[in-house]
Amino acid sequence: MTITVGIFIPFLAAALIPLVYKRLSNKYIGWLVLIVPLVLFIGLIKYIPLVSSGKQFDHTIPWIPSLGIYFTTYLDGLSLIFGLLITGIGTLVILYSIYYLHEREALGRFYAYLLMFMGAMLGVVFSDNILVLYVFWELTSISSFLLIAFWYHRKQSRYGAQKSILITVSGGVSMLAGFIMLSVMANSFSVRDLLALSGELSDHSLFIPAMILLLLGALTKSAQFPFHIWLPDAMEAPTPVSAYLHSATMVKAGIYLIARFTPVFGGEELWLYIISGVGLLTLLWGSFNAVKQTDLKALLAYSTVSQLGLIMSLIGVGSAALKDLEPIIYTQATFAAMFHLINHSTFKGALFMVVGIVDHNLGTRDIRRLGGLISLMPVSFTIALIGSFSMAGLPPFNGFLSKEMFFEAMLNVRQSDLFSIGSWGVIAPLIAWVASLFTFVYCMIIVFRTFLGKHQHDKIERKVQEGTLGILIAPSVLAILVVGIFFYPNLVGKYLLQPAMISIYPQYSGLDGLTPHITAWHGVNNALLMTISVVILGGLMYKFLRYWQGLYTIPPFRWSIDTLYNSVLVQTENVSSRVTKTYMTGRLRDYLIYIFLFFLITVGGGWLLADGIEINFANDAPISTYELLIILAMMIAGISIIFAKSRITAILLNGVLGYSIAILFVFFRAPDLALTQTVVESVTTALFLLCFYFLPEWKKITSTPPRKTKLLNALIAITIGTVVTIIALIVQGNKMFESIAFYFEDAYRLAGGRNIVNTILGDFRAFDTMLEVVVLFIAGLGVYTLIRLKSEKGDKAVEDQ
Amino acid sequence: MNNIVVAPMLIPLLTAIFLVFLRPYLKIQRFLSILSIIATAGASFYILDLIKKEGILRLDFGGWLPPYGIVFVADSFSMLLVLTTVLVAGILLFYAFSSIGQEKEKMFFYPFFFFLLTGVNGSFLTGDLFNLFVCFEVMLLSSYVLITLGGNKIQLVESIKYVAINLLSSWFFLLALAYLYGTVGTLNMAHLSLRVAEVGQGPLLTIISILFLIVFSLKAGLLLYFWLPGSYSAPPTAIAALFGALLTKVGIYALFRIFTLIFYHEPEITHTLIGVMAILTMIGGSLGAIAYNDIRQIVSYNVVIAVGFILTALAISGEVAMEGAIYYLIHDILIKALLFLLAGTMIFLTGKAKIEEMSGLIRNYPLLGWLFFVTLLSLTGIPPFSGFIGKVLIGQGAIESGSFLLLAVAFISSIFVLYSLLRIFMNCFWGETIISEDNHVQLKKGMLLPCAAFGIATLVLGLGVEALETYVSDAAYTLMNPEVYIEAVLDSQK
Repeated sequence: MTITVGIFIPFLAAALIPLVYKRLSNKYIGWLVLIVPLVLFIGLIKYIPLVSSGKQFDHTIPWIPSLGIYFTTYLDGLSLIFGLLITGIGTLVILYSIYYLHEREALGRFYAYLLMFMGAMLGVVFSDNILVLYVFWELTSISSFLLIAFWYHRKQSRYGAQKSILITVSGGVSMLAGFIMLSVMANSFSVRDLLALSGELSDHSLFIPAMILLLLGALTKSAQFPFHIWLPDAMEAPTPVSAYLHSATMVKAGIYLIARFTPVFGGEELWLYIISGVGLLTLLWGSFNAVKQTDLKALLAYSTVSQLGLIMSLIGVGSAALKDLEPIIYTQATFAAMFHLINHSTFKGALFMVVGIVDHNLGTRDIRRLGGLISLMPVSFTIALIGSFSMAGLPPFNGFLSKEMFFEAMLNVRQSDLFSIGSWGVIAPLIAWVASLFTFVYCMIIVFRTFLGKHQHDKIERKVQEGTLGILIAPSVLAILVVGIFFYPNLVGKYLLQPAMISIYPQYSGLDGLTPHITAWHGVNNALLMTISVVILGGLMYKFLRYWQGLYTIPPFRWSIDTLYNSVLVQTENVSSRVTKTYMTGRLRDYLIYIFLFFLITVGGGWLLADGIEINFANDAPISTYELLIILAMMIAGISIIFAKSRITAILLNGVLGYSIAILFVFFRAPDLALTQTVVESVTTALFLLCFYFLPEWKKITSTPPRKTKLLNALIAITIGTVVTIIALIVQGNKMFESIAFYFEDAYRLAGGRNIVNTILGDFRAFDTMLEVVVLFIAGLGVYTLIRLKSEKGDKAVEDQ
Repeated sequence: MNNIVVAPMLIPLLTAIFLVFLRPYLKIQRFLSILSIIATAGASFYILDLIKKEGILRLDFGGWLPPYGIVFVADSFSMLLVLTTVLVAGILLFYAFSSIGQEKEKMFFYPFFFFLLTGVNGSFLTGDLFNLFVCFEVMLLSSYVLITLGGNKIQLVESIKYVAINLLSSWFFLLALAYLYGTVGTLNMAHLSLRVAEVGQGPLLTIISILFLIVFSLKAGLLLYFWLPGSYSAPPTAIAALFGALLTKVGIYALFRIFTLIFYHEPEITHTLIGVMAILTMIGGSLGAIAYNDIRQIVSYNVVIAVGFILTALAISGEVAMEGAIYYLIHDILIKALLFLLAGTMIFLTGKAKIEEMSGLIRNYPLLGWLFFVTLLSLTGIPPFSGFIGKVLIGQGAIESGSFLLLAVAFISSIFVLYSLLRIFMNCFWGETIISEDNHVQLKKGMLLPCAAFGIATLVLGLGVEALETYVSDAAYTLMNPEVYIEAVLDSQK
């Protein structure tokens, strides 16, 4: 129950902000908002002992029970970690933003979005129902979109926002398809039901498609290669947002999802390959590209991409535990993933905040203009140092511990004979090692390029000073955590990681070693050797960076997915425009041709393909000479109309057609119909003639259409006529039932009228008649309005453009 | 027999005729219009609820029993559409009050509005195929007049195409009716269903069914949608919104009715054809939606995409997909009305129609901007707005029946919807504000409030699915089980 309320509190607060906003000074709004995550964080902390002792909590509100959609929240070890990150980092970020954002900014909007995001993100991790999870998932994308474009007057912000929403929502749509497939397989929308059924699902034919679709959602959200391109552009958002959404929480939603569904899909070979493969590739590509960035935030963005890849690859490897006889080797990978997830949030959050302070105080975050800040901003320097070294994997910081575990896990892959990994096993630790080299280099760049070297006065307009006390609180707390976790890692292990591990591997909950004891020193082993070599070689690479920087201009390394993304967008628009304008000519003739062609293809084609339907003249009455003559006259008149030279001729010929029909009615002994037809024909002909009196001369179109057009017209007309006639004849010969008309023959008894037609029009189907009268009425009124309401000539409405 | 069934058609009809005689008295016209809408909505809701208790309702005109006379049949499917239509029309009416202009109001705008409503509701309710033709005519004639109301050049140019194509489709309709009557000798839809089932849907009947498919596809804008973007861009906003929201839906309704009730025996042919057409429609609509920079074109192509999306459900068939289609239909009537209103309002405010000519509107008109954003999300099918549940259910139906191509195209088309509308949002609402203080056009409350009402409606509908579920599932059940409908119509005891 508390959890359900907890999800809604941020939304509620977000909704209240516009109300409070106008009455409150901008100074205080941040403090007011701060209460929300703080309270939630404290509330969640209370659950830690309960959850670590094996308890789980759930609460259900029926949303659409008839369709099986319940609003169920569920708190277990895995969601608790994320919940704490969301609220904890959230608290710090809001505290930070109070000092970071200027009072003149649209703070109301900012905090409303931020709270909306917080609620949505809590919803993602606490929802048990996959459709509800999807609801919140998309809400995080939307709030991220709005936050990236917080300064929407900037072109780059809009570009970044659009990119992020297009990529993440596309992923979301694919994930939704995957979710629906899962629900069809399991006949339930509940995550726990799915987990319970996990063994039975894998034989289903939809299993693999559902998995891939779901992964697409997770990988786009977590900015994995090749979808990572939205994250660097998302850095257009204010720095608190980058620290919060785009490094600590939202981008980890994909990791959450994959961890959550590991029990379902983990046994599948493809799952392992995709996740660890994509993860490693992202790790390498991200770290490689981070080195060449000159904007500190872009550098951090690529580093986030890379670190997310690292966590991803670990979870991928960890899923092997579900297949192996010795699961502990692999569960350690997942353990490392979860541990690194927490560590990453701390050190990356701190780094973002420091970069924000530099940007805030100096007006730039371009490393080419920075340097020598160490004496001017000592506190910031210390925090940056802690954060960077932790990320680089150096002691005594938490990153060292998880990085060691990462190496260890990758080395284990080598020994594995699982899934016939074979020679691929060597590649994993190799990639890990190379990527760590680049990671080391960019970590050094962050610290040393910014804070050491010469201060470039000429390139900085403002007077440099350390950040205020307030703005330093949040990053300092994170920096302390970075160090603190190094010294007391097993507190985290026991209270946070162990319950999470049990959520991911429920079947191994009793197993020893599921949560290993974390130690900083575990003798000289391969992992440590890897770290040492990374430090040495990485140091050299940093030193000689300018000698090998040319690498980034060589083709495979120069390529970027961005160019591809941009050109796809432009090309899609161009192609769409070209295609659409080709067939949407705006000319009536073309449109009519489309319709007729479609008729010919479907109806005519249907007739050609169908067997067993033939024209049957057997029951038809013989045709008399008179009838034949009339028909002949009609045919001549009909064909002549096309060649008529004046309107009068055309309309008179049309009259011939009409009167001939009347005569046919006479032959068929329907005098009343004949009369009606005669009257109608006379009136219309007279009206036409009257109209023509007012019309200008019928000018023959000066340029006669080309022969080809005429021929095509003739061809279409003749084939349409043929098809219509043939089908009519077939219908005539294939009466399957007696018509309901026999009923009306009894008209006198039923309706008291001797004339059947009259009784049908006036009684049996009088409703039709009435509506036809209405139609006439509308037509009459319409003509009247057309004549009266002519817009004046000079009227230049927009519609005229 | 239940006389109330005719109310949703009769009240607008009488209102229309009555208002013709009140031409100079605009205030009274407006007042009566609203009164009439409320009455119609009340009656519609009453009928919908009555169906829940008593099953499908029927009215035999003149007491002539089916299949000989004309019947109106009210089942949950038709009544849900009628109710949505009336409510949406009511809100559009409010928008019209402050936007349509006295000149047009005096030129029988309200009577034509109600005539159109008469035709639409009649089409939803009738159980007789020829009567459907007549109701279509009522609707079309009113739309011909409404599209030209105001009579500026572009309206006349577009109306010629609109009228010509619709005349052609009416001719096809008549042709199809003649063929069908010639073959099976009846016009009552339930009776038709019975007779077609009795002889089996052979090649001849299938060909006739394809002819009907052409007729209603022309109305619905399924594949044969070329007339749509032009003619929906021409009329004044309130009328364009009415068209965008309602006219194609009548065609869609007819397709659903005909191909679930009468011609459901050869799905390999007819429903496959519908599926192919739906896919092509979604592709064409998606391309069109991002091909233009004119807001009116973009929103018109969005209508096209939705048509394809809804018809996927018919191609899939099955109760789940049908439920999805019904939710989506209701949603789409509402949201397309809103979309057209917003587009029209933007053009009214700026005097421009191209996205590159507007910028930063959200600073001047924040609520309008957010409403557009909500519309964008709702149309994309992002929860918690109303487009979501229909999308999920149609998706579920597609997966259950193994129609993965349809699923893929339908879901990908929603990305195009998102992109096409994002272009409008980011270009027009975001960016530097270009409207100076002097050029600032006041946004009338009368224009903003109807939009806000739709905005709230899409959220409420999205969250409150449960409240509709009984009606929608009943509607889907009836669609998928024609015998329920047939029994209700042909059972002379009722």
